[in-house]
Order: sequence, then structure tokens, then C-alpha cells
Amino acid sequence: MTQTTNDPRARQPRFRGLEAGHRACQGCGEALAARLVTESAGPDVILTNATGCLEVFTTPWPQSAWRVPWLHSLFENSAAIASGVEAALKAQGRRSKVIAMGGDGGTFDIGFQALSGMLERMHNVLYVCYDNEAYMNTGIQRSGSTPHAAMTTTSPPGKERMGKRHLKKDLLSIIAAHHIPYAASASVAYPQDLRRKVRRAMEIDGPTFLLVHSPCPLGWGHDGSETIEIARLAVQTGLFPLVELERGEVASVMPLRQKVPVSDYLKLQGRFRHLFVDSDHRAREEREHLQALADYNMERYGLFGDGDDPFDADGADTVRRGGPARA
Amino acid sequence: MPITMNRGAYALAGSSLAFKTGTWRSAKPVHVHAAAPCHGACPAGEDQQAWLALLQEGKPQKAWESLVTSNPLPAITGRVCPHPCESACNRGQFDQPIAIHGIERWLGDEAIRNNWSYPRLSGEIRPERVAIVGAGPAGLSAAYHLTQRKYNVVLFDSLPEAGGLLRSAIPPTRLPRSVIDAEIGRLLHTGIEFRPRTALGRDITLDELRSEFDAVFLGVGAGKSRHWDVDGAVPADLHEGLALLREWLAVGALPKPNAVVIHGGGNTAVDLARVMRRAGIRDVHVVTASGLPGPDTDPDDILNVVPRELEQAIEEGVQFHPHRTINRLIMRGSKVVGVEMVRLKKLPDGSGRKSRVSFEGTETVLHVDMVVPAIGEVVDASGLEHILRQRDFLPVDMFGRIEGQPGLFAGGDARDRLKAYPNGTVSAAIGDGRRAAEAIDALLSRRQPVEESRPSLPYASLNLSYYESSPRISLPTLALEQRNDNAEIEGGPNTAQAMAEAQRCFSCGNCLACDNCWTLCPDNAVLKTSEIAKDGSHYLFDYEYCKGCGLCAKECPCGFISMQAEE
Amino acid sequence: MLEALEGSAAIARAVARCRPGVVAAYPITPQTHIVENISKLVADGKLQTELVSVESEFSAASVALGASAAGSRAYTASSSQGILLMTEVLFNISGMRLPVVLTCANRAIGAPINIWNDHSDSMAVRDCGWIQLHCADNQEAVDTSIQAFRIAEATELPVMVCMDGFVLTHTLETLEIPDQDMVDRYLPPFRFDRMLDPKNPLSLGTLVGPEYFSETRHLAHQALMAAMSTIVDVDREWQDLTGRSAGGLLSVEGPENARIGVLAMGSVVSTFREALDTLKTKKKAKLINLRAFRPLPDQALRDACAGLSDLVVVDRALSPGFGGILGGEIKAALSGMAKMPRIHNVAIGLGGRDVPLEMWSRLLDVPTEDAGFRILDLEPAKLGDTP
Repeated sequence: MTQTTNDPRARQPRFRGLEAGHRACQGCGEALAARLVTESAGPDVILTNATGCLEVFTTPWPQSAWRVPWLHSLFENSAAIASGVEAALKAQGRRSKVIAMGGDGGTFDIGFQALSGMLERMHNVLYVCYDNEAYMNTGIQRSGSTPHAAMTTTSPPGKERMGKRHLKKDLLSIIAAHHIPYAASASVAYPQDLRRKVRRAMEIDGPTFLLVHSPCPLGWGHDGSETIEIARLAVQTGLFPLVELERGEVASVMPLRQKVPVSDYLKLQGRFRHLFVDSDHRAREEREHLQALADYNMERYGLFGDGDDPFDADGADTVRRGGPARA
Repeated sequence: MPITMNRGAYALAGSSLAFKTGTWRSAKPVHVHAAAPCHGACPAGEDQQAWLALLQEGKPQKAWESLVTSNPLPAITGRVCPHPCESACNRGQFDQPIAIHGIERWLGDEAIRNNWSYPRLSGEIRPERVAIVGAGPAGLSAAYHLTQRKYNVVLFDSLPEAGGLLRSAIPPTRLPRSVIDAEIGRLLHTGIEFRPRTALGRDITLDELRSEFDAVFLGVGAGKSRHWDVDGAVPADLHEGLALLREWLAVGALPKPNAVVIHGGGNTAVDLARVMRRAGIRDVHVVTASGLPGPDTDPDDILNVVPRELEQAIEEGVQFHPHRTINRLIMRGSKVVGVEMVRLKKLPDGSGRKSRVSFEGTETVLHVDMVVPAIGEVVDASGLEHILRQRDFLPVDMFGRIEGQPGLFAGGDARDRLKAYPNGTVSAAIGDGRRAAEAIDALLSRRQPVEESRPSLPYASLNLSYYESSPRISLPTLALEQRNDNAEIEGGPNTAQAMAEAQRCFSCGNCLACDNCWTLCPDNAVLKTSEIAKDGSHYLFDYEYCKGCGLCAKECPCGFISMQAEE
Repeated sequence: MLEALEGSAAIARAVARCRPGVVAAYPITPQTHIVENISKLVADGKLQTELVSVESEFSAASVALGASAAGSRAYTASSSQGILLMTEVLFNISGMRLPVVLTCANRAIGAPINIWNDHSDSMAVRDCGWIQLHCADNQEAVDTSIQAFRIAEATELPVMVCMDGFVLTHTLETLEIPDQDMVDRYLPPFRFDRMLDPKNPLSLGTLVGPEYFSETRHLAHQALMAAMSTIVDVDREWQDLTGRSAGGLLSVEGPENARIGVLAMGSVVSTFREALDTLKTKKKAKLINLRAFRPLPDQALRDACAGLSDLVVVDRALSPGFGGILGGEIKAALSGMAKMPRIHNVAIGLGGRDVPLEMWSRLLDVPTEDAGFRILDLEPAKLGDTP
């Protein structure tokens, strides 16, 4: 059906940074996020990639799904090799933008030092963290980004535990503390917002950071078709607020239309299944805890906005004939 | 020869295309063009979603051209149709339904203002001749659709002007004469031969027509009032509602009782009640077995009147007595001095069919000096005696075919009520004319007639995350004190309002070209190409790579994508 | 023009002559002076390079990797723990065939922490796929550093230039820094076919499965083996240009007819050279200066050892539970010889212990002792009863 003489794939009205034929799972949030990021950023970019699902499913030799130059080295050095690439470009007088990419394991945890160094040295690099809240490539182990109470293979629920004991690391605040020009959180559920944030970061000559919430159907225990729905609920419940920070100060937030209880988000995912065991009194307690964390985010970032039309963010996901309502 | 390893194991850009991930799929996305509920509910068969889509693209003339492929009289139906489309509109469950009638009216008026012509359809000129009896909405619609299909059409009517009940039974306050003249004038100019003042049974016989023409369509309407009495009693000076309305429309004459009760729940009853009320009659009562719209009333038990007309009538002081019937006439001699009403309701009987049951002990009295029955009309049998055979209406199937009478078709108010195709409205008559034209064409082309039928898209199949709440436009209504017998009471939307209102359409079941599937496919397996996509969308699924995750189907706002299991 | 320069300053000057596009480094004793000197050259405008002062050696190597992949001549330097922190990246750089040059200011590895010289660090990363060249003095270090870029870029293999910490890095010597024109003639600008470039977007660092991994390892080994001739050629060309050889794969000094050989790497070679010249010893011995530890030049070693009855291999590091690392390797390399000399293996000068001129005489006695591998300059009295 597709391979006509007039191959439509070759004539798509958008840049394809990540081509078809990659081996991500069905409904992979990270693949989608990477596709959207490279689409908005490309073609004049160079990517670096931490070890992880994205690296594995895009480049099983001799194939690569990337249509932009791409460099993978190790789990923890995406930011550092990006620093090197950027330094080389500077030395050669080339102007391509460098984007470093990593998952939450490679960013929150093992690659955090390299990232901090890159930000401190003010390299002209956009760092994108695809946050799927656990070590997925190795088989769903908890990371610093795993939300409180979530089940992973290293934070299983049991008689003594209700999933992960600790909180999700507030990475964005730590990034913001580097006083960099721009840091933001985004979500695959809000592609217009995500694209806008990528473009914004691309325009800045200096270090920028984007945290993209990217559901993992396998690791979170949901159907691949629900990736967007779940990502959207994470934002709508306040568990994953979409914010922009400039020089460490909150510059804008995506306001919420209405308060959605966290249970609406949690109950769709296998990783929170133990929070819905009626006979376990701890289940209710943990749900309330997560609700309190969401409420805290709403208050902290003022997610309900004010004024006549608080829901005026550019990134709203509404559509109309011919495309997004606020393209 | 195997692929040979290169220095440092680098890979070439986009070489993953060699890996066809489509083999992973257990279900595939397909485009399914379900009917929008508005389309499913439209008696005229309009696809409102389709023409609203063109309006959303900013193409009013194209929208009108799409509209008139089914309904040639939108300025008229935009004013008089009870718009079941809006009741069915999925948006009604989200905030408020699209004001489809208002937009339709605006398109109709724009066409008149700009002198737009009906689109010319291609096709062979047909030698066959078709006779159409009755130039009311059904006959006009049949004539139009047959002319569009290049048949020779002769349209007969007993009256000097075409229009049928549009002229004879609908007050100009609802339907200005200029609108009728403009739309019917345009329709008659499409090459139809119109023979006015030619009555069936008087000037021509059905047999003559059937021998002279290849097919005959009867759109004769229901011109004779249904027999009415109360336990055998009838006032001496009985006036039928439709006759009163016609007389008033024709010559402006109206009886002036102090108080009147009109018995019936259709447009005739309500139109007459409003006319009488405006003529200064103090108490105008309407007694009807049907209910008023409300949570306690079954949808099939509501007064068959445009809801806003009902509101306006109440505003104007007409007093409604729903779920009641007249039990007894209170007479002084042969003169009526009052009526006794009793409450009733439509209830299922033992066999499950619904019938009306009155409740003893709920009788009340209205003091009136006139009773006007308006309980409906039946076909005037003149010239149709051997077809009707004592029946009130012509027996037809959905295509208007009369059983045992090849080449003879009927539609509009003259036909029997069909469960799936209720009649009694202008729009239904237009739909009848259109389907009959298809059946006539099929007969003359020796094929089976086809009526497009697609399941309607349920509300639950929409993804509402992509729509924002926005209020329905409100349309102007003449203030109570400014209403008279001529000025049109309701106004239409202005251009900006119409265009804005069209934007509210969810595009149920049809591609919105919103790019969601294209934007959200993690596998780059949705391709955007308006040139190659042939199914009304702008997108193709690239099944070589589609893994069948179902994200596109889930995130399609308008339910245009379904997942289909692979064999 | 001869100058009196500290080793580290000389290396900084030599590296600067090579016009690296990117220099990334993190301070560690005894490498620090090299980085400091480069930083000063940059600060003074005498070196146009992107100097990236990273937050760890791990990132230093990573930056060099990225810069090299992006088509820039990349340089870094480290020592000891820093080399170990880089290890993961070092394997990556060679696996991706990136021509990075690194100076290893050799130092012991803790614990116990010790900042002084031996070869534990470079030996710990001997299998990482890099070319390793050892320098006997600072002139050789200068010349080898310049040659290293030529070798690296010709072979697309990374080169580690090993020079002993303190003994060389912190020592003032009279030496010549070749002038810029000469170096420019010798070392053309870096061109890298696989460079990261949006105009030719390659993917570097892919995943290779079992069906091709053996082939990648084979190719890595072949590349290292093939680099031997490049090392020789590049040194010969240098000699033609400057009149100085930096030692090829290895060099042999001393009487032709000596039956005893001493094989060593690094600065002790300079000590033994002087001993050879100045000490009156009863036994005649040849001194074999092994410059290329990786690739290990097995044929050249056999040629150098032909006619020897005994070979004393001097290690500056050891593999606990095995013995001398170099000793073990030389034994393996010579094992195919028709008349293989008896091989004696000792370690000396660990963690900065002084290697005096007299060590030469002591080494010549080793063949008669027949005692197996041992730390020759151990002081048993200091051991006490410690198990």
C-alpha cells in the first residue's frame, strides 16, 4: 500500500529525525518523545545518547533509525560526550546544535554528575531526559525518578513494603539551581507544548534542559494504546506538572482545567495495582500520600492559574480541523 | 554474502527501514467513516458533519453545495425543521449541541443573497419522463433530485404556485414568503416543467399519467382534516384548524371568540394558537395528548413541534394542557360553552404496544366559546380512490414504492408512517422525495435502489480531551411586543457567528485532519498525504511498519480510526 | 633550540604544537602540571583550543571521545585513579576507533593511597585496546607526544603516551621543542571520515550482537597489530626530520656480544643507560628499551633477544597472585624462539621507591639467583609479622 512510485514517506511535510523500523515496544512513550524532539530540533543537530532502551531499539547494527548524526558511548556520559562534541563544533566554527539524550536512570542517577558538569560549564547543549520513571532497559528496576509507592522489580510490594519507599527526585529543581537559561518539563501527551519547548531551547545559546514524561507500557503495566491517556492524566492530576524555568525561576506553567484525582491516573497502571487492594489499609494511605504530593505540586506551581482565562497556555492539546488549535 | 563489519560499527541514517516492524502487529488501525449522529437523525438525509467540515475550512459555498446534494431548500428547513440533528448531536452531551439549524439557515440565506446555483452533476441525459404530483416539499425534492439525475420532470399542482403547505399552512412569522419564493424559484429553474392549476382527479387522472410517463411520484400531501367528534358530538359551527390557518394565510380572516381551545399537538395547532393569540383572543388553550419536553416525558411522546416554537408560544401566552384529551363538550344548545378535559398517558399494554390510557377522576373544565380540532390530516382521496382503498394514507416502503403498483411512488405527508422514517415534517418530505428519486432512477436503470446507511458514532467513541468547552451561539428573537403577523420572529446568525459555530463541530466519525494520528505515532507509521489518501482523510497507515499499538485509534478525537484484528 | 624545561611544561608545549581542537582534563597528581601548563598557554593566547575543564576524569575521557567523534583532534591526560575512572571510556574510545591521545603520568594505585610513580595504572588498562608507548626521558616524551597524534590519526586508534610521574613530569631537562613549522609539516590537519556531521548523518556507537561481535574483536586486534609498522614508520620519519628517534617499537643498547639482557620500560631505562655508560660491571649486558607495550612487538622482541642466555625483565607493577605483568608477557612473546633465553622477572621502584644507578649491577646478579618473581628492592625487615 505504501511503496508507490510516489513514495509518500519521502515527501512528509515534517523532518524525520527518528525513522520507522526502530524496535521500540508497541506504544512506547520514549520513542514518541524522541521522534517529537528530533522532529522539532532537526535536521541541523547532533545527538548523543546514553545507554538504554532508546539506544538499543534505534541502533541494532547494521541498522539505525536516526536521520541525524548520533553518538552513543556509555550509560553515564551522554552529557559529557555532548560537551566534547559541542567543544569540537566550537573549535571548528560549526554551528549545529547538540542535543544530549538519556533516560531517567542515565540522568537522575548514574549520569547526573556529567550532566551537572555540562550545565555548570555552560555548554551550548540541550539535554533531554526521557523520563519513564525506572530502569526499563534492564527490566524495570527503581530509579531516583520512580514515583513513591510504585512497584518495580527492585521495589516490589510485600508484607513490609508498599512499592518504592522514597520519593521521586525533584530533578528539575536541582537543574534549575544551576541557574541555566531554560529548563522545562514536558509530556508526550502535549506534543504542541513539547515542540514549542524544544524550539525555545534550540534558540538559546547555552545549556538547556527538558524533562519529558514518557510512559512505558511494559514497565508501568498498561496497554500501548493508553500511553497518551496516562501521560495526560499525570499532568492533569498534578503529579507531573508542566513548567518552564528561566534562570531558576518559574516562568510559566501549563494550567489545569479541573482537578482530577490521582486515583484516576494510578488505577490504569499495573505498577500501582497494590494501591487498590481494598483489604490493605496501607493502600488507601499511599493513595492519599500521592494525592498530597499532587496537591503540593498544584500549590507550589499554582497550577490552577488565575485571571479570566487561566487556560490560555500555548501548549493546550485541543484540535480543530486541519491541526492543533494552537499550532 | 553477509554484510561486512565496518570500522567502529557505525550505521547509516534511516537504515532501520529495512526492518519491517509491521510483522509484530496483531491488530491494525483502519479508517472507519461512521455516520455523525446528526446525519443519522436527519429526515432529509443531510450529512451535516460533511458540510460543517467545509465551513470549518472556510468554504461557505462548498458547504452549501454539499448541503444541497440532499436538501435543495436549506433556507426553508433551516427555519421550520424541528432539527432532530441537534437532539442527536454528540456535542449535546459535552456542553450544548451545535446550532445546526441556524447555520443551515445562514447558508441558505447566503445562497439566496449571492445567487448561488445548484452544482451541476455530470451524467447522461435521460430520455425517460417522470410525473410528479404535488409541488410541496416532497414533490419539489423528488423533482429536484430527478432533474439532477438528468430526467425529464413534469411537476403538477392544483394551486397556482408551488410550495404546498409551505405557503398554505406555515405563517410568514416562521417562514417569510420571500424565502419560499427564492428557494422554490431557484429549484423550478433547474429545468423542471411546472404545470400549476392542474388537479388530480379533476384535470388529469392517475391512469393518464401512468401511461404517459415512465414513473409517477405522488406528493399530494394530507389535505383533508381528520374526522373529529367527542363521543359523537360536534359543535354546529365547527371549524377545522388547518382550514382556519389556510384561510387566515390566504385572506387574513379569523374568527374572534373570547376563549378558544385547540385540540391537537402539531404545528397546525401551535401555529393557529399563536395567530389567534396575536389576533387578540384572550384565552387560547392547546389540549394535547402529547407531553411537553422535559425529563419526565419519553422522547417519542413529545409534542411534534419545534421546541423553540413551543417556547415562543408559551411566551406569547398560549396555554398548554399536555397529556390531556377532551372528554366531553359542554354545550348550551348547539353552542359550545366549555370542554371537559381528562388526563391521559401513553402506556404499554399487555402486548407491549403503547396506547393512551385516560385516568378517571382527573377531569377538569375549560370555559371556552370555541373548539377547534387540529388533530391532523389525511390524504384527500380525489383521483386516488383505487390506490387508497379507504385508507387514510398511501402504503409505501422506505423508497416510496407502493406495493403492487410498479412505477408509482409516494412520499411526504401522503404516505404511511414508517417506524424508521417518521413523516410529518418538511425535512421528512424532502428525504422522501430524495429516496423516491433514487428508487425511480434505479427502476429506470434496472438496478436496486441504495440508501447509504452507516452506524452512528456513539459519544463514547470520541476522545474528548481534544475539545474545549465553548458555548453555543444564541440567535436573535423578536421581542414579544414587536411580534406581529408578518415579521419573522427568529433571526439567523451573522457570518461570524455561523463560522464560529461551525468550529464547534466534533466531526463525529470523520477525519478532522487534526494530525493527531500523524503526530502521536511512535513508529512513524502514519503518513500524511492528502493527495494519496482516498478515504476522506489526509493520512495513510504504513502497514509495513505499524506495530498495531492502537495509540492513533485511542487519540483520534472523532472516532475515525478503529482497530481491526489481523487474521 | 635547546631549552631547560620541566617535563610537564615540555609536554604541554609539544601538545600545543599539535594544535589540538579540544583538550579536556581533570587535575590529578602527578599529571597536574601538564594541565596547568596547557591552561596557561590557552590563557596567554598561545594555544587556540577548546579547553574543557571537566568535573572528573571520566568526563575528561568522555569529552575527548565526543570531540574526536565530532572531528576534532582531542587530547587528555591523567594518572592513577584518574586512569581507572576513565577505564570504561577508554574501552569505548578504542572500540569506536577514535584517535584520541592521552598522556598517562604513571603513578601507583591505592589503597593505600600513593601519589608516586610506578606502572600500575597503565598496566591496569593494558587490555583497553589503546596503543601504549613508554618514554625513557622527557625528550622522548615530547617526541612521542607529537608522534602519537600521527600514529593515532593514521591508524584511527587511540594512543596513550606513558611517562613516569614525578621522575619525568616534574624533572627539569634540557630538551628541544620542535618549532611549529616543523610540526605542521609532520602532522597534517585532522580529517575524520566518520565525523558527526548533519550533512552525512552516521550513527556511531551501535549495538552489535553475537553474530558480529567476534568480528569486531578480531578487527580491533588486527588494527593494533598492524599499528606496529605505523609506529616504526612514523618514528623514522621523525628521525629524518629532527635527527632524533624516539625508540621505534623497542631499542637495544650495550655490547653486541652480551649474553645477559635487561628489558625495561620508562624512566628506569635512562637510569640504566647511564649505568651502562658509567658503571664498571664484570658482567656484560644489553639493555632492551621496550617502547611499545601495546601493540607488543613479539617479532622485534625475539630479534632483540636472539643470542641471549638470560633476560631480566624489569616490572614497575605487579599482578598480585601472578607476578610481574611485563615479565609474563615477555615470556609468552618469546616462547616460540628456537633458543629462548631464561627469563627472570623482578619488580622494582613500586610507588615511587628510588631506583638508583646501582640497581643495574643488582639486576645483573638476578640470573644467578634463580629465585622466581620477586620485588627486588623489598626491605624484608619492614614486614615484621604482618600476615
